Amino acid sequence: MATRSIGRRLGRAVLTVLAVTLAAALLSALLIVAGTARTRVLSQLSKGGPLAGIQVVAAAPDPGQVDTDNPRPGQPRVLDEAARQRIRALTGVRSVVALISTPVRVLPPDPPLRGAPSGTPPDPFTQQMTGVDTAKSGQLPITVVSGRLPAPHSLVEVAVTESYLRHLQLPKQQASRVVGTEVELGAPRLFTGDDRVRGRWTRAIIVGVVAQGVASGDVIAPIEQVRTAQAWTAAGDPTGDTASPYSGLFVIAKGISRVGEVRAAITQVGYSTSAPENLVATVQRYLHVVEIVLSGIGLIALVIAALGITNALLAAVRERRNEIGVLKAIGARDRDVRRIFLIEATLLGLWGGALGTAAGFGISELMGAIVNHYLRQQGLAAVHVGAPVAVLVGGVAGSAVLALVAGTVPAQRAARLPARQAMGET
Amino acid sequence: MRVLSEATGLGVSVQGLTHIYAEHGNPLVVLDQLDLALRPAEHLAVTGRSGAGKSTLLAVLGGLERPQSGSVLVGDVDLARLDGDELAAYRRDLVGFVFQHYGLLGNLTALENIELAMTFTGLRTGPRRRRARELLDAVGLAERADHRPNALSGGEAQRVAIARALANQPRLVLADEPTGNLDDENTAHVLDLLASLPAQLGCTLVVVTHNHVVAARAARRCLLEHGRLVAVP
Repeated sequence: MATRSIGRRLGRAVLTVLAVTLAAALLSALLIVAGTARTRVLSQLSKGGPLAGIQVVAAAPDPGQVDTDNPRPGQPRVLDEAARQRIRALTGVRSVVALISTPVRVLPPDPPLRGAPSGTPPDPFTQQMTGVDTAKSGQLPITVVSGRLPAPHSLVEVAVTESYLRHLQLPKQQASRVVGTEVELGAPRLFTGDDRVRGRWTRAIIVGVVAQGVASGDVIAPIEQVRTAQAWTAAGDPTGDTASPYSGLFVIAKGISRVGEVRAAITQVGYSTSAPENLVATVQRYLHVVEIVLSGIGLIALVIAALGITNALLAAVRERRNEIGVLKAIGARDRDVRRIFLIEATLLGLWGGALGTAAGFGISELMGAIVNHYLRQQGLAAVHVGAPVAVLVGGVAGSAVLALVAGTVPAQRAARLPARQAMGET
Repeated sequence: MRVLSEATGLGVSVQGLTHIYAEHGNPLVVLDQLDLALRPAEHLAVTGRSGAGKSTLLAVLGGLERPQSGSVLVGDVDLARLDGDELAAYRRDLVGFVFQHYGLLGNLTALENIELAMTFTGLRTGPRRRRARELLDAVGLAERADHRPNALSGGEAQRVAIARALANQPRLVLADEPTGNLDDENTAHVLDLLASLPAQLGCTLVVVTHNHVVAARAARRCLLEHGRLVAVP
């Protein structure tokens, strides 16, 4: 009956649903965009890795700096498998990814890439090469800007960072140009007999350009490749400074709220840690304020829509006094009449909410496409515009609940109309 | 019409009924110490000028308005003692209304309008629909079941309204100017239908009208004047 009543006054129902649709669309689009922006900003802070990530370096902690995000490491300390296992066993640790870092001499391609600003090949330079298990790249603060990561266990594929592009005098917007080119990497070794450094040279194909926060350095490679280079270099190191099996660990806590606790525990074990803990918390607070403001704007729109529903239903009650009287004359109780109007209000809210949430999702997808186009032009990784289930379900259910609340006054007024209305105005 | 064969009419006893409307602060007495006694299955016509209080009397008898003073007994039900839900149940189970303007819901078909009266009794869809079809058939409108009120003539709409009034096997049928909007031919048809109710179905019938032709069909006639009923020979 409620559906039929809505259908009988289709024009008014369409306008009412439209008001709810626009409000729900605005609210859901704002929330989706805000959520995506939040993800993007926080992702930038953690370089695409998990926000609950903690970097552990092969050094003792500096007691004066344990509460800062990026403390200065203390004395070098061996970080071996036993230490990794101890850290892995700590409460609050979800996973631990081992990192190996070793210096390499980098020989850029010769002849230089076509279109490079200077015609002469760039000079060789020394940088750190970091080895990671690329199969676990999802747990690491690595964002692929162009191409892909090296295949796990590959001995010929590497990825480079944006600073490699600077050595080649290429803007980061042209990152894709280095993908597929060859680079020569030389692991140095000091031969004490003649006091000369000799290199162990390998050729590798650059398969991707990445932004990373794993360790300093220009080259990311599968761990096996770096281990071989490290072993070569360590064999000539009389000081034993490069003797640590791991140069660092990337520890992921069970949630951002446990980062502080895990960092403290790792400090107790005896290693220096860093994490954008304070920065993320500060940014999260600012983003939360932005979300509140955006939600407020959407809610104002929804309240206006709710007033529209109330107005439309009050008009319906005025027009249907006789009909309501007839319903009572044939046996409807006050609560039966109330229920009919509440169902009408809820249906208007449901339809408006469903249409509005779908429209909001569409709008945010469109905005995402525009933003991604811009980001790609700037040589940055694209963002994924995802609609959280809570926003989708909440958009529809919230609109229905708001409409139900908006329909309460008209429904109550209808329920209280005297049954005598069935016989016309007295 | 066999669909109501088991219903039996209710006697009505009204004593000292007074009803006053406050018009801009001035009291308007429409019913003044009114007395009325009706036997079960009696057919009464109440006539009177416009504003005499005929519809108010009908509204009080049907539980659409509460008696302000005096007592109104329908069968053994004292209407003054019923609360809101009990009055709704009284209207649903014991009373059938026929209005001058038919009172059909424009967004429902003829069949659905009749069904609606049974919805509030909790009857399931199947039996409800079956009985609605029987009633439509009984008033000669089986082929108009799927038509909405705006597609029916005045006479047809009033016959649908009578079928709806009979849906819950009422024991008191109250008709307020049932032929007020009808032409002569439809008036005769509707009057035949109404007049047959007390004899065929055993329900008590009160018709309010200012039309003497309509009143003449009743077994008993009263004139409502100065707030009281006066028997008309």
